[in-house]
Order: sequence, then C-alpha cells, then structure tokens
Amino acid sequence: MSNATMERPLIGVIGFFDEPGALVQATQKVRDAKFRSFDAYTPYPVHGLEAAQGLKRSPLPYVTLVAGITGCSLAFLFQYWTSAVDWPLIVGGKPFNSWPAWVPIMFELTVLFAGLSTVAAMFAFNGLPNIKRKSFDPSLTRDRFALVIEAPATGEEEEGRGAHRKFEEVDASQFLKQAGAGEVRALYAEGWF
Amino acid sequence: MAHAHGIHELKNPGVYRPTSGFRMVLMIFAALGIATFAAGLALQPTRAWASFVHNHFYFMSLAIGGLFFAAIQWVTGAMWSAPIRRLSESFTAYLPVALVTFVILYFGIHDLYVWSHADHVKGDLVLEGKSGYLSTGFFMIRNIIALGLWVYFARKMIGNSTAQDATKEVGFTLKNRALAPAFLILFALTYTMASFDQMMSLDPHWFSTMFGVYCFAGLFYIVLATTTLMTLYLKRRGELEGLVNDNHLHDLGKFMFAFTVFYAYIGFSQFLLIWYANLPEETMYYLHRLHGNWVWVSLFLIAGKFLVPFFLLLPRDSKRNPRVLAGVAMFMLVAHWIDLMWVVQPEFFKEGPRVGWIELGMTVGFIGLFGLAVTRFLSKHNVVAIGDPRLEESVFHHHQ
Repeated sequence: MSNATMERPLIGVIGFFDEPGALVQATQKVRDAKFRSFDAYTPYPVHGLEAAQGLKRSPLPYVTLVAGITGCSLAFLFQYWTSAVDWPLIVGGKPFNSWPAWVPIMFELTVLFAGLSTVAAMFAFNGLPNIKRKSFDPSLTRDRFALVIEAPATGEEEEGRGAHRKFEEVDASQFLKQAGAGEVRALYAEGWF
Repeated sequence: MAHAHGIHELKNPGVYRPTSGFRMVLMIFAALGIATFAAGLALQPTRAWASFVHNHFYFMSLAIGGLFFAAIQWVTGAMWSAPIRRLSESFTAYLPVALVTFVILYFGIHDLYVWSHADHVKGDLVLEGKSGYLSTGFFMIRNIIALGLWVYFARKMIGNSTAQDATKEVGFTLKNRALAPAFLILFALTYTMASFDQMMSLDPHWFSTMFGVYCFAGLFYIVLATTTLMTLYLKRRGELEGLVNDNHLHDLGKFMFAFTVFYAYIGFSQFLLIWYANLPEETMYYLHRLHGNWVWVSLFLIAGKFLVPFFLLLPRDSKRNPRVLAGVAMFMLVAHWIDLMWVVQPEFFKEGPRVGWIELGMTVGFIGLFGLAVTRFLSKHNVVAIGDPRLEESVFHHHQ
C-alpha cells in the first residue's frame, strides 16, 4: 500500500476468518455489540449468516407480486382493447371478448413482468452493479471469510449516544480480534476510478 | 453446525396409538356409509352409484397417490421428505379396500355406464366403434389388473421401507430406488387408464387426451393436502418433536402451492383446447357443466380450487404457519371432492349438483374406511421412517 491510500478516508475495519462457523459466531457478537453498520463477505452462501446479521426479510416478493399483477392486467386490457374495442373481428363465431383465448398471454406477461422486475429490483436492493468499491481481498472469493465493521460515511455524523456503539478504529479492531478474527486491518476507500 | 448435533438426538416416535374413541368414530363412519349405500340403492340407485364411484375414485386416487409421492422421493433421493414420507406411505394401506370397492362397482356398471347396455350401443356408430374397449369384461379385468399391480408394488416398496426401520440397512433404500422408476412409468399408464375407464367413460362419446393428467393433478393435490394435515396433526400431538421443523412445513406448503397452480394449468388447458375447437362431441362435456346450477360449481372450481389456495399459500409466513396450512389443506380436500362431483354428477343430473344424505353418508363411509385402513397401518409401523439414511440430514433441514 502506498502512502496515497493512507490519505483516503477510512471506511472500516476488516477481520478475516478461516471457517464459516467462526464468522457466524463473530457476526453474532458484532451484532450484539450494536455496531451501527457491518457486513459479512463470503465466497459462497453460508447457512445461518442472515440470522446472525439480523437481516430483515427482503421486500423483493412484493415487487414480484405487484409486477405480476400489473403484467396480467395489462395483457388482459391490451387484448380486450385490440379485440373488442379498437378492431373488433368475429373469429370462429366467438364473442369479441373471448377471454379464454387470452389467458396464455396473460400468463406469459405475468411471468415476464414478474421475472424482469424481480431481477431489476434485486440489483437495485443489492446496490449492484457496484462501481464505487473494489474487492477488499482476492481471498474472499476463494477460501476466506470476512467481517467488516464500517465507519460512518463521510459527512454522515456519528451518533455515539443511544442504541449504537460508536465506531473507533482501535476499538473495532480489538473487538474483531477478540471475536476470533485471524487477520485484522483498517480499510481505506479505493474507488474503481 | 449440523455436525455439532449427534444422532442421539433422534427420538423414534414409535407407532401411532389412536384413542379407542377415535377408532370407534371411524367405525361408526364406515357403518353409516354402508347403511347409506344400502338405503340409497333401494331408494335412488343412480344417486347411490354415482356417489359410490365418485368416492371410490377419490380415495383410490389418494391411496395410490401415497405410493406415487413416496416413489418420487426414492427416485430423486430426496432428503427433505425423510421424516414425513411414512405418512404418505400409510395411504397405500387402503389399496386392497379400493380393489374391493372396484369389484363392488361391477354391480353398478349398468346404472353408471351407458356403454354397458347393448341396446344403447347398437346403431350408435361411435359407441359401436368403441365397443371392443368399452365392454364389461375387459373393463373389469384391466382395472383389476391395474389395482393388483398397485397393491403388489405397494407391498414390495412399503415392505422395504418398514423393514428398514429395524435394520437401518441402506440396501432397502437402494432397492426402492430401483423399483420406483418402474412403478412410476407403470403408474402413469395405469392411472391414465383408470381415469379414462372409471371417470371419462361415464360419457362414452366424450374424450379428452388430457383427462388422465387432469385426474392426476387432483390426485397429487389431495395427497399433498392429506400428508400435510397428518404431519400437522402428529406434530401438534408432539410426536414429531425434533424430527419435523418449520422448514419441512414450508416445503409441504410450497408443494401444495405448486400443485394448486398445476391443477389450474391442466384444468384450463383441457378447457381451452375444447372451447377453441368447438367440436360438438367434445364441447358437450363443458356445455353440461356450464348450464343450470352447474355453472356455479364450475365457477367455484376456478375460485375455490385455484384462486383461494393460491393466494392463501402465496405468502411465506402462511406456509410456515400450522393453522393456515391446516385450514388450506382441509379446504383443498373439500375442493377436490367437489371437483370429482363435477366430473361425475353432470352425466346423471343435468340441472345441477345433488348433495344430500346419500352423498354425505357415502362420503362419511369412505372416510371411515380410509381412516381405519390408515390408522391400522400406522398403529403397526413407526410413523417416521426411523431407519432412513437421509433422516438425520433432514432433521436439521435448513433453507438457503
């Protein structure tokens, strides 16, 4: 690391773990210590980690539901408009509003709207694609697990009083070491650009 | 995590011990059914037979469906279902009774199936053409052979499963894994045949190549609902402590949800093709069911068999909530009963459904017979396949 990085703002303290179990236990401790913000980084999904982090359920299913209902309704309305309002044609002696014939398209648009909206909303909720930060360490995509206790973002005033534990570099580092982290170091912002 | 728990935590819940009162109720149900059937035959034979074939097919499907469910667990090597699989296996205890009720159906053939009347068939080109297949002797023989095969596979596979309880031998699972694909292929063919013969030929002019799948969709619908109900019942009694957790309920709920959609998909596909082509010999089936009071039953099927369970089972929380799950499962059992009534009755009563003492009494009787067979099975065998090699893994079943 050059001196240049040292002048960049501190974004947090990172602690590395070799075992997923150790990470889950440490995550629980960090959550119980009421640090304001922290996140875990793993090479693959780890069972029980969401519970240890105390993450709430994602609002994603509601996006899917609303998008699905929208797709279904739009498909019906558009077919009704073309077949019964804008250009009515008698086909096979059936009524203009022959809704059974439209059901397959209503189904397809339900799935299409729900599917695409879910993917888009998933990216939005996850803050992806991430063009602000580089990967902290290549080993996090391979065989190590990490927990980052984050510093308050620049400009955001730290509110040490009340429910949260005030972030201090030394305190957070010691906490991670005590929680079982093998390697602990400070993280400085490294933009992509 | 999972490794931290030891096998010593697995407690065998043992066999099911029904209270004598419960068994008595089932016996009274069965006796009531037999009395209703006798009285019905004397007073209104067509109604009695229509109700008989309706309930016979319902519970026969449930019984063979139990083996179907177990077979797909073996063929896929499923882990999640290990603690609940025995409950679906128990349905097969009713199969011999279904064989008997099918033989009894022989005496109702003239009341139910117009193709059995030589004078009716004569001069009708369609029925004359089908008379080689739709003849009383062939009808009885092929369906008895199918039921016999089901009983054979059930004996064999469930026998392996229960024998594994004592020895914990992996070999039994492997044996069933080898038998399951053979059974599943045979099941697809024979159950389609049974649906065509026993249900579709009630109107021998009508045909739908999807009818077998339609009946199968209903079969799996009630198999899942019944398995879920029994799981919830035993869990409430505390017998599945440490064996079945919320994730298993969630999986059962997802399965029920999926096959609610599957039913709607198959039911609508059958309707759409016939509605689109609008050929007289095909459309008659739906015309009967869209006239008189039958239109309300048809609308109920869209709402009650599809939309209501669909939206009730949609949220994650309801699939993990025993009360909601039990309520929906019970509702699904009734909805499928109404669906089969909608298949059978319009062939006899064009103006609307008939639900009176005959239909209710007969249904109660079949519930009694099915309940007695299943209770007897579960009071002889462990309610959980305790020797299953997948059980320990499944007990700590965790969702991604």
